[in-house]
Formats: sequence, C-alpha cells, structure tokens
Amino acid sequence: MTPPRGPEDTTEHDRTELLPPGRRVGDWVVTELIGAGGWSTVYAARPAEGRREGAGGPAGPAEVALKIMPTAGLAPRQARRIVESARREVALGHGAGHPRLIGLRESFVLAAPDLPAVDGAIVLVMERAAGSLRELLDAGVSGAERGRLIEGICEGLAHLHRSGWVHADLKPENVLLGRDGSVKLSDFGLATELTGTHGYVPPMGTLDYLPPERWRAPLGELGVQVRPSADIWALGIVIHEVFASGTSPFPGATPVARGAAVQEYGEGRAPLRMDLAVPPFWRALAADCLAPTHAARAPHTAESLLARIAAGEATRDRGTEGAGPHDTEGAGPPGTEARVPGPRDTGAGRRGRARAAVLAAVLCGTVGAVLGSDAVRDGVSASPGGTVKVFNAERGCQDRADRDRQCSLGLAIDPLRPYAAGNVVPTRVWHGDVLTADCRLPDGQPVIDEEDLRSTLWFRVRLPRGSAYPAAWLPAVRTKDRPTLPGCPVPGG
Amino acid sequence: MSGVVVHLPRGSGGADGGEPCGDAVTLRLGPGQVARFGRGSARTPVELRLADPAISRLAGEIRATDDHWQLTNHSSTHSYLVENPEGAGEYLRVPPRRVGAPVPFEFSRVVLPTRGDLTVSFQVFAPDHVYLDPDATGAPWGSRTVTAYSLDESATYFLVLVALCEPRLRDQSRVAVPTTPQIVERLGGHVPGGAPTARAVSSHIDYLAEEKLRIGVLDDREPGRGERRNGKREEIVGLALRFGLVREEHLALLPSPAGGGRERQRPR
Repeated sequence: MTPPRGPEDTTEHDRTELLPPGRRVGDWVVTELIGAGGWSTVYAARPAEGRREGAGGPAGPAEVALKIMPTAGLAPRQARRIVESARREVALGHGAGHPRLIGLRESFVLAAPDLPAVDGAIVLVMERAAGSLRELLDAGVSGAERGRLIEGICEGLAHLHRSGWVHADLKPENVLLGRDGSVKLSDFGLATELTGTHGYVPPMGTLDYLPPERWRAPLGELGVQVRPSADIWALGIVIHEVFASGTSPFPGATPVARGAAVQEYGEGRAPLRMDLAVPPFWRALAADCLAPTHAARAPHTAESLLARIAAGEATRDRGTEGAGPHDTEGAGPPGTEARVPGPRDTGAGRRGRARAAVLAAVLCGTVGAVLGSDAVRDGVSASPGGTVKVFNAERGCQDRADRDRQCSLGLAIDPLRPYAAGNVVPTRVWHGDVLTADCRLPDGQPVIDEEDLRSTLWFRVRLPRGSAYPAAWLPAVRTKDRPTLPGCPVPGG
Repeated sequence: MSGVVVHLPRGSGGADGGEPCGDAVTLRLGPGQVARFGRGSARTPVELRLADPAISRLAGEIRATDDHWQLTNHSSTHSYLVENPEGAGEYLRVPPRRVGAPVPFEFSRVVLPTRGDLTVSFQVFAPDHVYLDPDATGAPWGSRTVTAYSLDESATYFLVLVALCEPRLRDQSRVAVPTTPQIVERLGGHVPGGAPTARAVSSHIDYLAEEKLRIGVLDDREPGRGERRNGKREEIVGLALRFGLVREEHLALLPSPAGGGRERQRPR
C-alpha cells in the first residue's frame, strides 16, 4: 500500500491556541476559548474600552462570541470553502434575523500581522449564548423544559423554512440557549437558500442527523440536494434525544452503525423503535418527523408541527401558556392544518383536539405571515406584498371552522389556462384564510363565482414552504380585499 | 454510504461456469442485508452461484454491517482467504465454521479453494468507509460535521483521481482532463503491483464515479446541466476540486514529473 505522503503535518498544529485571552480583535477583547470546530474556533469576548462609537449598537452587549475562521496557510480552494461557509452565515444573519436564531452582529476580516495563524481570518461577531442543548442534555433536563425546548427549535426552523432557508446541520450542538433559557439555532455554515423546492449544500453533514435519502444522494455540480424535510428528520432525532436522555432512536454503538440502522429503516427492513421514555404525544410527533422518505415527511412542515405542539399544549390544559403569546387576529395560510386531526387521534377527545389544532394553525399562521413578509423567494418579488382574506360565497361554509374538504377552495397553477381540475395546486384554502399576495394579474381567465360575480383579476399568492408550487393564483372573486399590488409578469413568459 | 457491492467477474465462478453462461454478477447489499454463496440447489438457494464440485451447496454468507461486511464460513473443512488486492499481500484467513468475521478492507477478493489449479474468487467492495477530515484529526468526531464523501488517500483510486486532477491543480486550467493512456503513463511503476493497466484505470474511474462520488445519474433538470453534459471524468475532476476532495498538497502522492523537462502534461 502506498504510504500516505504529503497532506500530513500542515494540519497537525493546534488550531485551538490561536488567540490568547486579553487579545483585542476589532472592537472586542478575547476573554476565553469556548470551543473549536473543524474550520473555526469560537471565543468569548467583551467590548474593548474606547471602541469606535456606534460599533455594536448604542447599548452593546456585555459579552459576544467571536467565531474565528482562519484562512492563513490554506490553499486557495480550501480558503474558498471557508469563505463560502462564512458567506452563508452572514447572508442568513442579515436576511433572516429572528429571536430563535443566534444573532450576527458584524463580520470582518482580521488584520493581525503579528499572529500569522489568524492574519486574514474571517471573524463573525455573534450573540453570546449560555450553553448548548447538548450540554443541557448531558446535564439532564427537567420534564417541563423539554416541550418548550422543542417548540423553540420548531419555531426557529419554521422561520428559516418560511424565509427560504434550510439549516442542513441541525443537532443539539447547534441549538444554543440564551441566559434566559431561550432557544437559538446557530451554525449556519451549511445553511442554504432554496431555489424552488430544494437547495444545495457542500457534501458534509453530521452522520447521526442525516435522513435516509442522504446516504445515497448523488454529488452534483452544486453539492448535495437538500430540502426542508432534511431539517425535519434531524428535528425528529433531536426530539427523541431530548426525551430519551440524549440517545438516538436508531440502535448502534457508533454514528456509522446508527447510520446503517437509518438506512435499514429507510429501506423498510427495520421498524422505528423509539424509547418508551418519550411520551406518546412527542413520540407521535417524532415518528412523523422520522417518516422514512422525503415524500412521507414533506406534509410535516415545521409550521404544522408547531401547530400540533400548540394544540397539544392546549388540550393538555397547561393553563394559559398554550395560546398565550400570539395575537388572535386573522387566519393562517393554507396548508398549516395538514395534520388535523392526525391518524393517531382517536376516541372522545378527537373533536376538541382537532379544533384546538385549527385554532393553533390560525394563530401560528398570523405570526408566519408577518415574519415571512421579508422573505425573499426565488422568482417572486421581494416586495412585502399585501394580504388577501379568502372569501367563500357559499354561506354554509362561512362560519365553519372545521376545514371540511367540501368547503375548500382551489388555487390555480396558471391563471391564463382554464380554471379546471388539471390546473389546480394540491394546497386548498378555506374561507377566512389570510394569504400573502405578491402581485396582481388584471387579465387572466375570467372566473364566475356562485353569485355570478365575474372577474378576470387574479392574485399571485405564496404557498407554505414545502408545497408542490412556491406560489399559486387566487381568483379575485374569492376575496373581498383589493390590496395595492404591483402587476405580475405574465406567467410562463 | 449504502452497504457493500459483491462482484463476480465473468468466468470467475468456477470451472463449471458458475452463473449461467459464466456472466459477471453484481449484487448490492444494503446494511443488514445478506448474500449467500455456494454451489446452490433447489433446496439451498444462493444469491451468488459458484460452480465447482469442491464448493458446498451453501459455502458461506456475506452480511453488510455498518460500513464493512462480515463473512461466515459454512465449510467444515476449508478456510477461505480474503485478500486485499491493494494491500501488498494483506489477507485474512477465515477458518471453517467461523461466523461473522469482520472484514476491514475497502477492496477484497474472497478466494475459495478448489481441487484444481483454478481457484474460485469474487470481489467485495465496501465504499462507505468513513475518513476523518484532515483538519479534524485528534479530536472526538462522533458529533462532528464531516465530509460525507470520504476517500482513502492511500488507495489506488485516489492516485488515479489525483492524476486526473493534476493539470487543473497545476494551474493549467485550459488543459483537458488526462486520458486513460496518459494516466497509465503518469502512474507508471508507482502503483503497488506495477503499472496499472488501462482497464484497471478505467475501473477505478468507474468506481469513483459510481460508488464514491455517486455521479452516475445525471439530472438534466439541474441548472446548467442540460446544455453542457460533461464527460464522466471531467465531472469527477470538477467535483473533486470544487469540494476540496483533492488539493494541491496531494500532488506529492504522484511520482515527480519525469525529469529532463519532459513535462508531458504541459501544452506547447
């Protein structure tokens, strides 16, 4: 066998000893080492005395985390990999700020001629967290905490997915906790913006959190395809870990063995066996996240899971917490009710649970519409757009909240083609749903409603992430709203 | 990662031809799957038929486990040999009746004794071995983010890959990807067991494309793919460089370019 030659040594030096405490980096002074990853080292830092006015905002934080990504001594192609990773983090930090994502304050290139190892390193200045979910799991987490943690992760994912991003490396190490215990997703080095239904990431990941389809995924010019359902799979693993003292639902002593078990399960040769320590509600939720194929997982969007968690809390009578923080105005976008009622819901409590879930979907949807309004979506203009409330002329459907299929309304794929069966997206909408509209098309196919109202006006509306189409068309007869919107480009042109 | 590949080359299935007409057979086993081999019969079916009177009806089993595989020897008299064709004589002896002997090689040749001079053998590939990223050695790796397409930098296929990438790494970006004969010449005498044949180089390239990088299926809907569908080797080179699987430092693995300024790769 040829002895490995060449690549050794250059990588053996200890990357973790890059910056001594007290060292000034930009407007910050390093206080201690937090941790080291493959390409980066993270330090705690405090603001330097006499730093530039305005740096870090008027009331700067007492402490930040500095993520240092050295590029010195790397071949251009390796350096590019690191720059790309930093670029992803910065792009996401600027585009998708949210209380459930770790905040990025600034980024700069470090000039430190006296420390060649970090000269030219990329520095990301981030919110300082108190610890990670992994540390919390290792230390032991209390029963009531668990549901809240998962809900927080779910909120973060729902926001990312709504904004058109996939995290692609969700694991307890990357779920950080603020001093107040709030959940904050971090490490967006692999996060990718979706183009259409999927994005591409470099061929990397953490073995224990890769969905079955990733093990056979081909490597393409742009990397490996990922879809939001990959994050949902990882969420399923994390849910299990949170309730089962940090263990994966898949058997095996090593990540490679567990990866093999994931594939056996994905190919239908082994059942999913979860720890009985996971309470039934969370087991059902995790089982849906861990559906073996992308197609089976796709209906379980972060948003629909969030709705189920909220509904679960409401039915379990956890005081006022369940429906507390959200406003009650408006209604949700279509699709959020995808899992109501679930196939596992049986017995007398079913009706009440279903209703609570609808309510939750409505509540989460409102938040979604507001948060999602700054989302930039491929092929859809970045303007905030307006909202249109769905109107169903069938009076019998107007006061029903059960989302009966009979009362649902369709959305067209192409407003220039006849509004018939083949031209309707799978997503249905109901009376009272509030949809985000991007633009208007004044001269589409004429549509006549049940009350003989006729219109050729259509609105292009956004669909929830994970839908078969990113957007669809609502005929203007299906809403009373007429928001001021730009004209749409002619579809298919 | 997705288990192991069992390959019975054409005509290697024993004196009686093995599989019908002595055709080559390739089996793909996912984790946990088992393939039985032997002479087979109506009552003892086998997935891999080896036709030699010295081989039992059920001679053994291969089971894909994690990222490697296990060999069970059903014979009560014969040991089986598992050779590493790239290992300069490395081999394992699996004694009679041994159950589930783990095989650590990425490439293996399983050799079964026969009464004649002609041994019966087949190959097993385990392309899913995981390697640490070069910057991640010396630390616990279990929960780390790792490169999902890891390559054995001491394997012959990696040398072939470096040779394929060499012109681009040496900043001769306009140079076409080397042809198979050029690679044979470039690696001449450097690979264990002598210069690889053109056929060996081609199978290494196929192995890289299909098992390691998995670029076999070209998706025409992918942006930019439709109009310029590259050849397989161009594709391999593009991906290996783009994702840092082959880097400048790996050029040291190749024999130094022939002396006397005879730089074949350089255009004139």
